Amino acid sequence: MIPEIKLNILQELINTSSKEEIIWINGYLNGLVSGHGGQVTAGGHGGAVNAQPVKKISILYGTETGNSKKLALQFTGLAKQQSLNARCTAIEQYRHEDLSKENYLFIVISTQGEGEPPETAKKFYDFLHQTETRLEDVKYSILALGDSSYPLFCTTGEAIDQQLQRLGATRVLPLQRCDVDYEQPADDWFKGVIGLFASAPGSAKAVGTSAAAQPGEAKKHAKKNIEGIITRSINLNDKDSTRRTWHIEIRANEDLDYEAGDSIAIVPSNRHEVVERIIELGKADPEEHVTLAKSAGTVRELLTGKLNICYLLGSAVKKYAALSGHEIPDIRMDLVDLLRIYPLKEGTPFAEVLNILHPIAPRLYSVSSSPKLEPREVHITVSLNAFLKQDEQHYGLCSSFLGDLAVNTAITFYVHRNRSFKLPEPSKDIIMVGPGTGIAPFRGFLQDRDADAASGRNWLFFGERNFTSDFFYQTEIQQFHETGVLQKVNVAFSRDTDKKVYVQHRMKEHGKDLYNWLENGAVFYVAGSKVPMSHEVEETLLEIMSEQGGKTESAAKEYLEQMKKEGRYQKDVY
Amino acid sequence: MADKKYTPVERIKLASDGLRGSLAASLKDELTGAIREDDQTLIKFHGMYQQDDRDRREERSEKRLEWLYSFMIRLRLPGGFMTGEQWLGLHHIAGEHATEVIKITTRQTIQLHGILKSHIKPTLRSFDTLKLDSIAACGDVNRNVTCSSHPMESPIHQQVFEYADKISLMALPKTRSYFEIWLDHEPLLSKEEEIDPLYQDRYLPRKFKIAIAIPPNNDVDAFSNDIALIAIIENNELKGFNIAAGGGLGTTHGNSSTYPRLATVLGFCDTEEKVMKAVYEIITIQRDHGDRTDRKRARLKYTIDRLGVDNFKEELERRCGFQLEEARPYAFTKRVDHFGWHAGPGGKWHYTAFVETGRVTDDKRASFKTAFYEIAATGKASFRFTANQNIIVSDVDEADKALIHTILERYGVVAVTESSGEMRKNAIACVAFNTCPLALAEAQRYLPTLITRLEPILEKHGVINDAISIRMTGCPNGCGRPTLSEIGLIGTGYGKYNLHLGGDRNGLRLNRKYKENLEEPEILSELDGLIGSYSREQQSGESFGDFVIRKSIV
Ligand code: SRM
Ligand SMILES: Cc1cc2nc3c(=O)[nH]c(=O)nc-3n(C[C@H](O)[C@H](O)[C@H](O)COP(=O)(O)OP(=O)(O)OC[C@H]3O[C@@H](n4cnc5c(N)ncnc54)[C@H](O)[C@@H]3O)c2cc1C
Ligand SMILES: Cc1cc2nc3c(=O)[nH]c(=O)nc-3n(C[C@H](O)[C@H](O)[C@H](O)COP(=O)(O)O)c2cc1C
Ligand code: SF4
Repeated sequence: MIPEIKLNILQELINTSSKEEIIWINGYLNGLVSGHGGQVTAGGHGGAVNAQPVKKISILYGTETGNSKKLALQFTGLAKQQSLNARCTAIEQYRHEDLSKENYLFIVISTQGEGEPPETAKKFYDFLHQTETRLEDVKYSILALGDSSYPLFCTTGEAIDQQLQRLGATRVLPLQRCDVDYEQPADDWFKGVIGLFASAPGSAKAVGTSAAAQPGEAKKHAKKNIEGIITRSINLNDKDSTRRTWHIEIRANEDLDYEAGDSIAIVPSNRHEVVERIIELGKADPEEHVTLAKSAGTVRELLTGKLNICYLLGSAVKKYAALSGHEIPDIRMDLVDLLRIYPLKEGTPFAEVLNILHPIAPRLYSVSSSPKLEPREVHITVSLNAFLKQDEQHYGLCSSFLGDLAVNTAITFYVHRNRSFKLPEPSKDIIMVGPGTGIAPFRGFLQDRDADAASGRNWLFFGERNFTSDFFYQTEIQQFHETGVLQKVNVAFSRDTDKKVYVQHRMKEHGKDLYNWLENGAVFYVAGSKVPMSHEVEETLLEIMSEQGGKTESAAKEYLEQMKKEGRYQKDVY
Repeated sequence: MADKKYTPVERIKLASDGLRGSLAASLKDELTGAIREDDQTLIKFHGMYQQDDRDRREERSEKRLEWLYSFMIRLRLPGGFMTGEQWLGLHHIAGEHATEVIKITTRQTIQLHGILKSHIKPTLRSFDTLKLDSIAACGDVNRNVTCSSHPMESPIHQQVFEYADKISLMALPKTRSYFEIWLDHEPLLSKEEEIDPLYQDRYLPRKFKIAIAIPPNNDVDAFSNDIALIAIIENNELKGFNIAAGGGLGTTHGNSSTYPRLATVLGFCDTEEKVMKAVYEIITIQRDHGDRTDRKRARLKYTIDRLGVDNFKEELERRCGFQLEEARPYAFTKRVDHFGWHAGPGGKWHYTAFVETGRVTDDKRASFKTAFYEIAATGKASFRFTANQNIIVSDVDEADKALIHTILERYGVVAVTESSGEMRKNAIACVAFNTCPLALAEAQRYLPTLITRLEPILEKHGVINDAISIRMTGCPNGCGRPTLSEIGLIGTGYGKYNLHLGGDRNGLRLNRKYKENLEEPEILSELDGLIGSYSREQQSGESFGDFVIRKSIV
């Protein structure tokens, strides 16, 4: 197809190029062929020049697990290739007073929690909703990341979009929503934005390194349901423990694409008895086939595996109130209680109730294994979520669902990448603070570092309630310690003595060493409960910096900020 | 012997820096509830054993949890005496740091089980405030010195009893490590103070036990000890002691070079000085001549047999610098605890309560623990422990007797003591499962049930009021002294026991193995047959043990 001489030139070009360069070339050629009808000529750097690089472009990203950051950086690279004056900033570092001075503002942001902004974007988000400053001169567009399995899809992006409108800013390109397979829609949005600045057709450079330009990558990161089978399920707590925590091993029938630090997402099924009770109360025909916007199946199938019937969102409760004609207070409730306390009108077709319901949200579980040991296996560490409802003990849906699954049961999951929670190069030291199920990712880290024979030192802090019954993976940790994989381990058991000792107290006790490790370039990780644990750990970290490093409060904060920038302070908290 | 290799324990002792080893570091290790292997040997000298709950091993391994390690603490309690105040403290410590159960041992002291590593120091500190310690309660040193427990044995019981304390102190290791490691005392500036002429830095080749008996009651089973002192009392005056040496009961299944042996009476000493000197030098002979290459053959009993009794005595006299007098006549005609109320010297009253297998706890039948707690709280009694694992509520004034009795009655102690059968009250079982790492079969968890099944047989043959001695251990180490009973059951495997017969009732004759590896139905049917013929063919006053010997059954 191609003459040998050209092939040789191409070969040589490839041979002398770095990986990054090849990727760029790939994208470049791609752009040549597809985007611009072949009109663009490859003219090298001095070739096709666009309009003068005058416009200042500000790109902000708000991320929890790194996807938005990755896209924002890609986008900035693209813009720079177009000789645009683009600046990329993490949203938490953005100076709010700069907002009204912006010329072009592009925001890449994900949705977290139950339709909330990422932790790092909270301040900006609140500021935007409180400010009165008019933004008449600002032109903007939003790239919203999300997961359509969640009831409130991309709501953070949507809210920011609306708020900017309200403040008078001009939307130059419609909000782009991305599902978990975000590459293609993101790429479309990039092209759309770049297109805004192309002064004339043919003057823009080929768009290289776009998100979709790497077919391998794109495929890899598409949301992909994986079928696995549970090969082991062990309650890690001893019999007299106040807790239940399962170590679950899942084997897939294919090699898995994940790294230590990632999570897997699981959509639980609703409890059989509850589903049957709902069918009874709603006088529904369980075998009736219903087609909804996002799913279809029999009533029983939908109620069991697709629709959320627990602790409905306020918006769903409101719709139910309208449907049933009852006055219902503005609270979240289980569907079964709604049907019981506020019965449907006689003859209401049950499909109308189904229509109100959101999909069952996936739950994330930090992977507690490394694929370097067993590429087809993934392990998770699931703690039974317990809460009181009217003084009665209740258990979380997904954690109890997982705990009840017997060995050999099939299970479906997908991998949720966490780009912001990754091991550094093998020679770097790491400090891991992972009480409770926070230990999960670190078990994966340690397996990984062990498999790589990494030269960096590893230090683990673990905590739970009781030493004898709640020391997750104790014998494995002992082994890591004995074989020199773990240089230091400190544990805190809060209910063994009358003094409640937590990981942060142990950190403080070892503050001098800890600070030395940090000064030496160690990466600091914290995983597990967000509130209060991760906050207290952060406060303690700041205190250690002040006490050991003689820093003022603000200098300590700066030190921490610097660590964040360098990717040396990473969190996997929930 | 010189060319044979010393046992690893010898190396550990020598290298231990006064029994310190790396105990301090072991204690600090947050990752495990265990201590380092060498320290497991050393901690015994401080009165503790590392154990684990053997019922839970498999399940915990699957959960990635290490075995459920904990420690057993044994107090040093010469002669088995404790004040009421000390009992109160002990009661709290057992609840706060151990399994609640207070276990009375066959050597008159108490053990607490299930103490987690992190609780050891608080436990020992609490004991220290009560002036109690566990120094040398275990390990290759002189153990708890026992002494006939009941004050009524003699008007000069107290005088004899005091020897237990004196001997214990004389044979206490000089190292200060106990105080440094467990009680956080400052380390000594100079190690001079620690120089230990008795134990040097090698300690003894093996455990060492001393008992003091007041004839005619051999309640302490004097002859099972390395040294037995037999008080010679004439006209309420202590004349001195007959000294016997070389007793010991432990054997190993399948090792025919191990055997139980009763102490041999060597002679008599009159003054305290001579008695103490003789005891001291018996220990030094064992220190210098005991076999340090084989722990199974390291006890004094083997040393004496290897040297020969005459040579041994000669060496002893050489070291003492005086001759032993010829042994004085004495007679042991019983081996009993005096249950119920008895008056002792000085008009004080003593109530011996029957504590089955020595476990003081509250259960469905009776609330022993609450009862003793309340008694201790009155401040009107002290406590003595017997070598048969029972408790004597003692030193009660006439005026307080009724009050104490009401408490004993209220919590069922009197009912249990009075209603239990003679065989049951005279029985001993060792600890065995679930804490003893050496147990092959159940003992204290099982003997009470077996006796319940034997009682109808005794009833049937009309010997229900015959205090036939029955003793059971989970292995042949002999902690319940089963080879000194009329019916001995020695565990060989789970649910299986060797049946020994033919001991006398007073602890003067060892029994012999009758049948091996019996399970419960066979034990019951064998004993049914044997006790049947005993009841039919017994001569007047003849005990079951004597009967089987006369009949050449063993
Ligand atoms: C608590 C007690 C039994 C009881 O139910 O009361 C006991 C319990 C144990 N004995 Fe004993 N012995 C106890 C009296 C005895 C006796 C009886 C006596 O001394 O009057 C003997 C037989 C006499 C003798 O020493 O020969 C005895 C001979 C042994 C032996 C075998 C020694 C030998 O020479 O072969 C061992 C094993 C060993 O030392 O290697 C042993 C070892 C043990 C250990 C510590 C097991 C171990 O080595 O790990 C047992 C702890 C079990 C637990 O969980 O509590 N125990 N042990 C007694 C504590 C006495 C004390 O307060 O000091
Ligand atoms: C990145 C990440 C990593 C994670 N890693 C792990 C991990 O490694 N291990 C782990 O165990 N968990 C992990 N989690 C948490 C996990 O995803 C789930 O949130 C957790 O298991 C609870 O889910 P559930 O379905 O059992 O509880 P849910 O049913 O979702 O309930 C959660 C809470 O909602 C409230 N609630 C629910 N129903 C009602 C009701 N009817 N009435 C009143 N209140 C109600 C209660 O407060 C309850 O505690 C992680 C989360 C994230 C985001
Ligand atoms: C705990 C959690 C909650 C989430 N909740 C929502 C949600 O309510 N709505 C939504 O659209 N996406 C939700 N997502 C999906 C994320 O927005 C999606 O994974 C996105 O790619 C993450 O981008 P980031 O890495 O930049 O944070 C949630 C993800 C996590 C981990
Ligand atoms: S006799 Fe054996 S089983 Fe019983 S306590 Fe002693 S060592 Fe343990």
